[in-house]
Amino acid sequence: MLQGWLQIALTLLIVIVITPLLGRYIAHVFLNERTGLDAILNPLDRLMYRAIGLRSMPDMTGWQYIRSVLISNFMMGAAVLMVLLLQPLLPLNPTGVGMMNWDIALHTTISFLTNTDQQHYSGETTLSYGSQVFALGFLMFTSAATGLAVGIAFIRGLTGRSLGNFYQDLVLSITRILLPISLVGALLLLAAGVPETIAGALQLKTLEGTMQTIARGPVAHFEIIKQLGENGGGFFGANSAHPFENPNGWTNLIETVAMVAIPSSLIYTYGIFTHNLKQAWLVYAIVLAFFIPFVIITAIGEFQGNPQVNAILGEISPNLEGKEVRFGWAQTALWAVTTTATMCGAVNGMHDSLMPSGGFSTLLNLFLQIVWGGQGTGTAYLFVYLILAVFLTGLMVGRTPEFLGRKIEKTEIVFASVILLVHPIAILIPAAITLAFPEALAGISNPGFHGLSQVIYEYASASANNGSGFEGLGDATVWWNLSAGVSILLGRYVPIVALLLLAESMSQKQPVPMTDGTLRTDTGLFTSITGVVILILGVLTFLPVLALGPIAEAFQLSP
Amino acid sequence: METVLRRFWQKRVPRSLLLVLLSAVTIAPTVQAATGISLDRGQVFALVLLGMTTLSLSIYLFVVIVQPERF
Amino acid sequence: MDTKSRSSRQAKAKAASQGLYQRAMKESVLKLDPRVQIRNPVMFLVWIGTIVTALLTINPSLFGPPPDQNPLLFNGLVTLILLFTLLFANFAEAVAEGRGKAQADSLRATQSDSLARKLAQDGTIQEISSTALRKGDVIKVIAGDVIPVDGEVTQGVASVDESAITGESAPVLKQPGTDIASSVTGGTRILSDELTIRVTSDPGKGFIDRMIALVEGAERSKTPNEIALTVLLAVLTQVFLIVIATLSPIANYVNSPVSITVLVSLLVALIPTTIGGLLSAIGIAGMDRVAQFNVIATSGRAVEACGDINTLVLDKTGTITLGNRLAEAFIPVNGYSVKDIAQVALDSSIFDETPEGKSIVSLAERLGVVVTIDRSASDGIDFSARTRMSGTDLPDGTHVRKGAVDAVKGFVRSRGGSIPAELDAEYEHISGLGGTPLAVCQNNDIYGIIYLKDIIKPGIKERFDQLRRMGIRTIMLTGDNRITASVIAREAGVDDFIAEATPEDKIEVIRAEQAKGKLVAMTGDGTNDAPALAQANVGVAMNSGTQAAKEAANMVDLDSDPTKLIDIVTIGKQLLITRGALTTFSIANDIAKYFAIIPAIFAGAGIGKLNVMGLASTQSAVLSALIYNALIIPALIPLALKGVKFRPLTANQLLGRNILIYGLGGVIAPFIAIKALDIIVAAVGLA
Repeated sequence: MLQGWLQIALTLLIVIVITPLLGRYIAHVFLNERTGLDAILNPLDRLMYRAIGLRSMPDMTGWQYIRSVLISNFMMGAAVLMVLLLQPLLPLNPTGVGMMNWDIALHTTISFLTNTDQQHYSGETTLSYGSQVFALGFLMFTSAATGLAVGIAFIRGLTGRSLGNFYQDLVLSITRILLPISLVGALLLLAAGVPETIAGALQLKTLEGTMQTIARGPVAHFEIIKQLGENGGGFFGANSAHPFENPNGWTNLIETVAMVAIPSSLIYTYGIFTHNLKQAWLVYAIVLAFFIPFVIITAIGEFQGNPQVNAILGEISPNLEGKEVRFGWAQTALWAVTTTATMCGAVNGMHDSLMPSGGFSTLLNLFLQIVWGGQGTGTAYLFVYLILAVFLTGLMVGRTPEFLGRKIEKTEIVFASVILLVHPIAILIPAAITLAFPEALAGISNPGFHGLSQVIYEYASASANNGSGFEGLGDATVWWNLSAGVSILLGRYVPIVALLLLAESMSQKQPVPMTDGTLRTDTGLFTSITGVVILILGVLTFLPVLALGPIAEAFQLSP
Repeated sequence: METVLRRFWQKRVPRSLLLVLLSAVTIAPTVQAATGISLDRGQVFALVLLGMTTLSLSIYLFVVIVQPERF
Repeated sequence: MDTKSRSSRQAKAKAASQGLYQRAMKESVLKLDPRVQIRNPVMFLVWIGTIVTALLTINPSLFGPPPDQNPLLFNGLVTLILLFTLLFANFAEAVAEGRGKAQADSLRATQSDSLARKLAQDGTIQEISSTALRKGDVIKVIAGDVIPVDGEVTQGVASVDESAITGESAPVLKQPGTDIASSVTGGTRILSDELTIRVTSDPGKGFIDRMIALVEGAERSKTPNEIALTVLLAVLTQVFLIVIATLSPIANYVNSPVSITVLVSLLVALIPTTIGGLLSAIGIAGMDRVAQFNVIATSGRAVEACGDINTLVLDKTGTITLGNRLAEAFIPVNGYSVKDIAQVALDSSIFDETPEGKSIVSLAERLGVVVTIDRSASDGIDFSARTRMSGTDLPDGTHVRKGAVDAVKGFVRSRGGSIPAELDAEYEHISGLGGTPLAVCQNNDIYGIIYLKDIIKPGIKERFDQLRRMGIRTIMLTGDNRITASVIAREAGVDDFIAEATPEDKIEVIRAEQAKGKLVAMTGDGTNDAPALAQANVGVAMNSGTQAAKEAANMVDLDSDPTKLIDIVTIGKQLLITRGALTTFSIANDIAKYFAIIPAIFAGAGIGKLNVMGLASTQSAVLSALIYNALIIPALIPLALKGVKFRPLTANQLLGRNILIYGLGGVIAPFIAIKALDIIVAAVGLA
């Protein structure tokens, strides 16, 4: 037991140590300060700028930035959809997979385009190497870079700078952050035993004498960007539970840290942008105050196991159903919470098999979206909550609420509100429709409270752009593909538009100087209030479904 | 008679009410077919109207969010 | 003076508010009109919910077989509670409006429709109704008339009784051309002589009309902050509407169906009805508080902006110091004694009726000096801007003078006297103390210097300390020289000062502060203050000031007390704090309401253990939460109308304090109240 907790603590410690280093580096990159990699990568940047036809990089207004995001994403999406639909005709298909259904192809494109990577298929049997590497692998970089660019533009606006240039941010995100770290990470994974090959599946004779096909492929580099970019779409259907994606404790550690590295560092980057590291660490503390308890209750739940099973066994035994024994309860619990917190969505065990406390934590992560949160956007949401907290409580000091010296007025509240509204709309409405017609639409494997959790989880995962599945759903249907696709699109682009407009509106405000009458947002008191506001606004919205899902299930299981 | 009808149509509130009622009549049979529980025609109609009221309230709230000055 | 007028105004308001509550009750029923309700998004949902539950009371199986027990009683009770929630919210608004109306009525009483003598261009006078007067018309008023409209005196000198507006009984002299005394306000009465007045506002647009409109809430447009809050409340309402609307199929799926009545109840309990019901009352009450301070605000926006003020630009005279300087000491030179100079100073001041002169007389008398000269045989020499001296010519041909040191020096020199060297040293010494030195001479002989001291208003230093704690900077403007100004600035505790200031400096100071992103408030009265008043974010004109200044300002202080600016800032802050506190309270309440209702309605799903409050049954839980939800509105009406008490603390101290009361209190209070109500509901046997 102690070993399990030590593993969890060690991983967290590594994350905290990495935060200031990576955070400072990201700030350097986006403040256009010189970094050590400039000499090697500047030519690459120039090549990419030339490829997208970018000659000068003027600062963009909010709408220009939004238009660039939407147009570039649409173009990439259209191209990838074509690749997926035409994959039998395209090269690099050693396993000889066939055509994809249009709805699965559409869902997959939307899903990877938006950094969600929700998969309603099994990679090894549905996609060619070419589709995996060039279509999906490509989107894994660009979707992560899009999120990062939006997050950085948001921070720029919040701190009174102009939003920057989307294409430049996109290229810098890839060449300065995602690519170098992926390269190092892929080599580490290779060293730890993850395969990287373009040879087809291996046919071999087992000890029993039957033939077995072992799927393999260019896994290592796919794996690291999947984790680092919060993508989560596995090369194999079993995702990081597969021994080729995640063979041992070392790879598990690297992959877990890779998931949290960028979202956690981005909070520190914000601190550098505002010259207020104290606030950055306080905000970091809010996130940890959610994250650590989630890990603990999930881990305890898994460690104590299923009370009904324990009653039969006559002893307390960890719940290992749906888990890889090489990871055990601790690393699976940590991974499950981390992957839903960071909107990565990769899994190293079945979330369907988690105890209700795990279902509760993972669902809550998806609902809140700020416990680290998605690539770039999660940090932005965190500050949206900060703005809402300032507005709600800031009036109580007798002034128009201000954040970073900028007044929070109607425009800001409208945009912040949109972000608050999208999530319930994109989760609860389709879930209610699905549950109203369970026979026709749902295809739920476990009826009752658990089935409810499955459906809610699917849409929450889609809308939060997480992509992990509770699984157990027959989700490869037209209804699921389309409704989840709509949730994903709503959950991605509406907040991006609102975030950028919010950032622009903040950046154009005349800052008010700080006096004793100004509510300081970098105090422990205000940070705690923000935590409570997040709880009230985020959790209370979903309390009824939490009560009827994991909470009711927990009471059902407990003797 | 015709002028009465036209005047009725020109007012915003009665016109939208009429549209809501008409669409409720259209949707009601579909809902009745879809719900497993046995409800009589009136109950289904009431239920559909309630759903449409909720939808209208939601739209109304969106208008308030976007144009709060009007209220 | 200012407390007296305020209390008399309040007494009048009280008399007019007989039956205020009866009228408010009637109003709250009339306000159930959907056209009124639709303007308040939160309460509109409650209104629709009431209709739905009312229909369910008439026909419990309207939407299918009711899952509740005894649906008729339960639905009826819920309908009744929802109806009262609406009535309570309407009542809050009606009371706030009613109090404003009472105030407005007492003002309106001064504005009777009367006949005005309009002076046509050819000089003939025609009698027309005062409501027919337009801006630019010229009218004549004679002794005994009530001045019908706001205007500017163009001819004549007359005394005017302004007590109807200011409560100050002493009549005021009005004459053309002078900065201060040329504007007249509608509703005041001319006591003597006659005046020719150019009308400066159209009927219904005068100051009093604006104030009436504002306190009645009639033409109240929402302030920016209120709009932002409305958006947030609408969003929360929208979120909970979605949550509740989708709950039905979700609950059906796990076989815990919920009745429509319970869903409506849950929705009403969760949406922020407390702040939604009180929001407009808070705003109207804020305007009302400003009016009670005898200040006319032209818009709610201006009152709200007061809370955001970073910098106050204040004139020294009248605001920081008492208007007049008083004699503090006699400093003899040339070897004279204190008594000697006191005697000469007294002689020079016996005809001086200015406060300075009187203070010299009283100081001299305190030193035991008595008047020895023959008053009737002597001549008083008044102060003039040219001579900068005043004094007395005695019957024996002796001339005693006091005045500006240079002027007296010149007077002495012209008579062949000599200037002692110590004089300049004393002059600088007194300037260094922040005083004004006056030299005293008898014929060609300088006796010494009178030290006139600026008297800083009692308590003003503490006010500035409070302001500083609130994060507000004060800048003093004065015509004094640098040394004097710096001493006064230090004594009064202002943060900065501008010495030898011209009216143009005022606007410069305001612009410079605004360029730093600060909001600036100032007071002013003269015509040359008008640009600065317009430039300031909050400009408060004195009622005694010129019409131009009043037009440029966004507030007019009827008592003409510049210190009131500080009170107005407090009112602005109080308004925002009240709004914030009740919003926080309202949202914090949701936690308890959730914990009361959710476990109760889903007890069938096995989450009964979450019923931490141990509520008796589903129906009693829902009813208790709803009753709490309804009763909290009237319980908070006094707070909404009076405003949360403002304390001059830093923002962080205020936040800590208020979050403890309204945040934590808002979490805990409903747990206790709902539990208590549940015990009562269960005991009475309602559910």
